Amino acid sequence: MRLIWQAVALLTLAVVCAAASNAMAGRERRLAWKGAAITEGSQRSASTPAAGSAAPVSAASSQAGKGSFSPHPDKPYVEISGGETSQLHGRGDVPFLDARRTSVYREGHIAGARPLSVWESDIDDKVKAFFAEGHDPSGPIVVYCSGGECEDSHTLAQKLYLAGFDAVFVYKDGFPDWQRRGLPVHSGDRP
Amino acid sequence: MAGALKIADPPGFAHEIHNYALLPERLVNPAALILPWLEVVTGLALFLGVWRRSAAAIFAVLLVVFIGALSINLGRGRPVDCGCFGTSSVPRTGAERLAEMKVAIGRDVLLLLLAGQILWAVPRPSRRGSAPLVR
Repeated sequence: MRLIWQAVALLTLAVVCAAASNAMAGRERRLAWKGAAITEGSQRSASTPAAGSAAPVSAASSQAGKGSFSPHPDKPYVEISGGETSQLHGRGDVPFLDARRTSVYREGHIAGARPLSVWESDIDDKVKAFFAEGHDPSGPIVVYCSGGECEDSHTLAQKLYLAGFDAVFVYKDGFPDWQRRGLPVHSGDRP
Repeated sequence: MAGALKIADPPGFAHEIHNYALLPERLVNPAALILPWLEVVTGLALFLGVWRRSAAAIFAVLLVVFIGALSINLGRGRPVDCGCFGTSSVPRTGAERLAEMKVAIGRDVLLLLLAGQILWAVPRPSRRGSAPLVR
């Protein structure tokens, strides 16, 4: 019995330390106790696919013509290639959002992209603030992370979709592909 | 040591836990916040000789959980970063990750044997209630 009480005391001490440490942590290192980076289910409509279940469709194959990045209100996101991403970047009026950690963003990001790390505690506030800026809900938005097995861009796309954006495009090969192509990159806090 | 590295970057550790695809999402963040501190608290208790049996028991439970989580994903053929010593920034192939998972399981089994040895070697407290709290 004593062993159990001592174990409970150690566990309680760990929880207290975790709470204190998290309360004192900076914005980038803090975690929300409630909620999670990944949005469970959908509050947008009953027919909305849940996170991760949306069937990715190539923009080039789903649009009437190449270069037409029209809204897709029936699914949270559409995956696009490096060429398509470059095309959208060239328009100059398309928001680019970086879903990686802010510290990684500072090391290098797509020129003009803004940091919206899905694993930092203020992500929901940042998505709301982005929406409040008055961007066209039907206008294209590009999100990306590190390509490969990285799912952060899909998570951010889901959040943007639930916030009301209908034309979110996930750059599936992400920042490593962008660098390989020699396309414009910035570093530091500057977008 | 391992706990301290995770404490330094809770969002990174939460990401690693998420990648294991075992916990409901609402439990990912609390686990990422509490687990590293539980490792540190039990490690300090063992190091200082305070409540060693209880600390070793928690340590053993944690190791069983870690071994189970790694084994399930190994069985799935799903390569994940161990996350044992915080977030790794080195890109690795799936095969490299699977190999590292096997090494991590082996290491955790050895640590589990060590925890078992502590539980076996440290005498149980006296039932008369006169045993000192700190052994």
